[in-house]
Amino acid sequence: MEQKHYRPRLEILQGTLDMLILQTLQWGPTHGYAIGQTIRTESAESLKIETGSLYPALHRLERQGWVKSDWRLTEANQRAKFYRLTPKGKKQLLQERDRWSQLVSAIGTILNPKRSRG
Amino acid sequence: MNPLSWLFRRRAIDRDLDAEIRNHFRMAIKERIEGGEDPESARLAAINEFGNVLQAKEAARAVWRGGAVAMVTDVWQDVRFGTRMLIKNPGFSLVVIAVLTLGIAGNAAIFSLFKGLALKPLPGVRESSAIAVMLSRTSSGRHTGMSHPDYRYMKEHDQAFADLAGSIMIFASVGLGSDATRSVAELVTGDYFQALGVGAQLGRTLQQSDDVAQGQHPIAVIGDGLWRRSYGADPNVIGKTLYLNGQPLTIVGVADPEFRGTVVSMVVDVFVPIMMQPVVFPPGRLDQRNAMMMMTAGHLKPGVTITEAAAQTRVLAAQLDASEPIPNFASRATVIPIWQSPYGAQTYWLPAIGLLGGMGLLILLVVCANVANLVLVRGVSRRGELAVRLALGASRRRLLRLLFVENLVLAIPGALGGVALASFILPFIGSSAASSAPTQVYLDTSVDGYVLAFALGLSCACALVFGFVPALKTSRVDLITLMNDISPRMATRGMMRSALVVSQVAVSLVLLIGAGLVLRSYSAARHADGGFNSQNVTALAIDLQTSGYDEARGLELVNRFLDAAQTEPAFESATLASNVPLSLVDNASRAVTIEGYAPRADEDLSFLFNVVSPDYFRTLKIPLLAGRDFTRTDDKNATPAVIVNETLARRMWQTPEDAIGKRLKTATGDWRSIVGVARDLKYSRLSEEPRPFVYYPLLQNYMPTLIVHARSIGDSASALRRVRDHVQKLNPSIPIVRSMMLSEQTRVALSVYELAAGALTMFGVMTIVLAAIGIYGLVAYTVQQSTQEIGIRMAIGANRMDVLWDFLRRGAMLAGIGAVIGLVLAAAASGAIRSLLYGVGARDAIAFGGGTLVVMSIAIVASMVPAWRASRTDPLSALRHQ
Repeated sequence: MEQKHYRPRLEILQGTLDMLILQTLQWGPTHGYAIGQTIRTESAESLKIETGSLYPALHRLERQGWVKSDWRLTEANQRAKFYRLTPKGKKQLLQERDRWSQLVSAIGTILNPKRSRG
Repeated sequence: MNPLSWLFRRRAIDRDLDAEIRNHFRMAIKERIEGGEDPESARLAAINEFGNVLQAKEAARAVWRGGAVAMVTDVWQDVRFGTRMLIKNPGFSLVVIAVLTLGIAGNAAIFSLFKGLALKPLPGVRESSAIAVMLSRTSSGRHTGMSHPDYRYMKEHDQAFADLAGSIMIFASVGLGSDATRSVAELVTGDYFQALGVGAQLGRTLQQSDDVAQGQHPIAVIGDGLWRRSYGADPNVIGKTLYLNGQPLTIVGVADPEFRGTVVSMVVDVFVPIMMQPVVFPPGRLDQRNAMMMMTAGHLKPGVTITEAAAQTRVLAAQLDASEPIPNFASRATVIPIWQSPYGAQTYWLPAIGLLGGMGLLILLVVCANVANLVLVRGVSRRGELAVRLALGASRRRLLRLLFVENLVLAIPGALGGVALASFILPFIGSSAASSAPTQVYLDTSVDGYVLAFALGLSCACALVFGFVPALKTSRVDLITLMNDISPRMATRGMMRSALVVSQVAVSLVLLIGAGLVLRSYSAARHADGGFNSQNVTALAIDLQTSGYDEARGLELVNRFLDAAQTEPAFESATLASNVPLSLVDNASRAVTIEGYAPRADEDLSFLFNVVSPDYFRTLKIPLLAGRDFTRTDDKNATPAVIVNETLARRMWQTPEDAIGKRLKTATGDWRSIVGVARDLKYSRLSEEPRPFVYYPLLQNYMPTLIVHARSIGDSASALRRVRDHVQKLNPSIPIVRSMMLSEQTRVALSVYELAAGALTMFGVMTIVLAAIGIYGLVAYTVQQSTQEIGIRMAIGANRMDVLWDFLRRGAMLAGIGAVIGLVLAAAASGAIRSLLYGVGARDAIAFGGGTLVVMSIAIVASMVPAWRASRTDPLSALRHQ
């Protein structure tokens, strides 16, 4: 059973999603729905992730100790589960950003060769 | 969070997650509605954006699970599901469990026997399966005992054994005179009990201090069995006197209850210091290097293997050879594991167990094939459910594990049932075998941890076999294909099912033919003529040696007995002999030289013999074809005489008459004249080929152990009593070691057939029932799959008989193919049991024909039921069926 279903959304690698979540949380603790919205708006609507995949990712991050969760009231006085970045998480975010930049520049070098091959 | 706390907080996490996701949806929908969408499309859009809710929840939950604990809870979930399915399909479940119970019961019973022989051969002895035995090996490769001086030498110099005890096993009479019974005794060295780790439940065991000087330790330790049988478990038995072969010994202890000696399956009643050998079993042989009479047993030192021990022993033996050589021995000392020892039941039972075990596993395979069929059918009907599971995100591995656990849920009750059934039937098998044995027999065939572990392991293997293959197939389902398909004709799957059914039919036919052959042998054997008439003839065994009779006095006693018997009105005739006919095992043979005949290079002139007194042939009503019987005048003063049987006479001299007057002699002794030729008997087994046989006259060739045959008027109890009285009148202290009628001996010869016939019939019936179930299932399945087709055919004009005939024909054809294969296999294999058969050929038409008839009729009946139901279908509802 190897059928390909048509996926209109960009497939985002698990590690990349983690990084985006951590980045989003840098601006203060929020709940899962808001994280999804933020990623969408901040990417100018080009990154529409399956919001369902946020929740496993959030729980994974919490298990690693990079975020912590607790239940709070939203502005609309509804109970929601808020996530916030931990110091470990902050360090992890910096590492991932570093790695991402290296990856991007490496790929960029291959795609745009600066000197011609002899 | 460690796995254990996760178990407790699982529910809280689940509730949390649910709430979290519910909130998400609430907020998402609210935002959309505020943006102008209507509630319904807002909800759908939110769901669409979210993706697979269940999958997300599962993934989030999975984050918190530890590995092993998760597996356990998953498996537990599967077990609960499997149990629910089992209860919801009672018919299916009961059939599978019942069938597995039968298959596993047979194998568990056989394994119990194996356990008693090889895994726990010596009850009451610590680590009995690890015991190693030191024996000598003759130049023909046969293992036999060691001499006493050799044993002492080996023990002193050996480095491989942690302990090495020695013993001599003897058949002896326990008790005096008419109360004497035949028992097994072991004459043991001082370290015997310590080496084996056996203690005394009363008094003490034998020790090193009882192993000092020959004839100076008149004591004995008795076994638990004898203590209970003959002394009523009397606690004051210590100090009482026990007579062994007429010699008094003081009882000093009673051995532990489970201990029964070091000969597998024999129950030893008395343990005596080996230094008493010259007294209880004369002549004294403890100093003779060529008396190879000792068995040894011991545990090797930790870390030493049997091969190493054997090598070390060989070196020591070579040293001994240099100083004290003995002829005819390849090796005077070597080490083998106890299950290879020639002493004990394992020598002739282990090969039989191999055969039985093979049969049992074959049956189990048939059982698994049957169950696999049933599971396949069930699997087909579950394809929808499995496809949905896959679509929901279950991995294929998870699905396979589910199916495997479900099959285990079926298999384990089968294993437990099988063990229970085996423990029920084992005592019956055991008691029937024991009743035909001359002395006490015991094998630890109890159903214990070993057997249970074996049964459970076997059932898991079964679950794999019958669950796995169908599981593999059903796990490849795809929901889309499934929904679009109406009623697929699984051609490949049908092939496998048909093959399974055909093989079942073939195997059951082979077993039924085997049973038929053996049953016919049995009925022929019952009316068999062993060559002699055993009606009203006694077979009372007496032992003159242990009562201190030498040859002269013995012969005098024989004469006095014959005189007295002649005057007894109730005796038609009486005689004495050294062996009984139909003795099951070959007794001794003696090499013979025939006057004027030079044997060919490959010809072996070693013939079986019996030593008989006058009137032997008259008493047993064996016809004499030429010449005469022995008479009272054929004694030491007359010419040495001999009688031969018909086969020998014809082989050497063409006719019985020509044999009279010819001469032969044994290795020691003078030339004897043939005075008579007797008709052949069956000397050991009913199914044996005719062979040469020699009769020596008792009055010229004394033998100390004799059987009294008296043909008497009246019933057997009074006959035996009369013989006993006569013997005791001559000397009250002569032990009567066995007292039975000759016809009982014949019955023992038949018991082999009884056992084999019973086993084969049971197996055959089981498999034919399984095959019938298989055929029924297959035809029923085909009917169900073809419902639409039947409707169409009936609608366009086929009548009920046509439909019935069509399906009946399919079942019968499968059975026919199976029957043909079975016939071929049976014809090929029946040669293997030819030695067992009596009065029937290995290709007996009645057995083959009868078996085929039974199998085909059962197959047709099994196909008839679903075929008949097919013919009863209502065409309209069939056409609508999907």
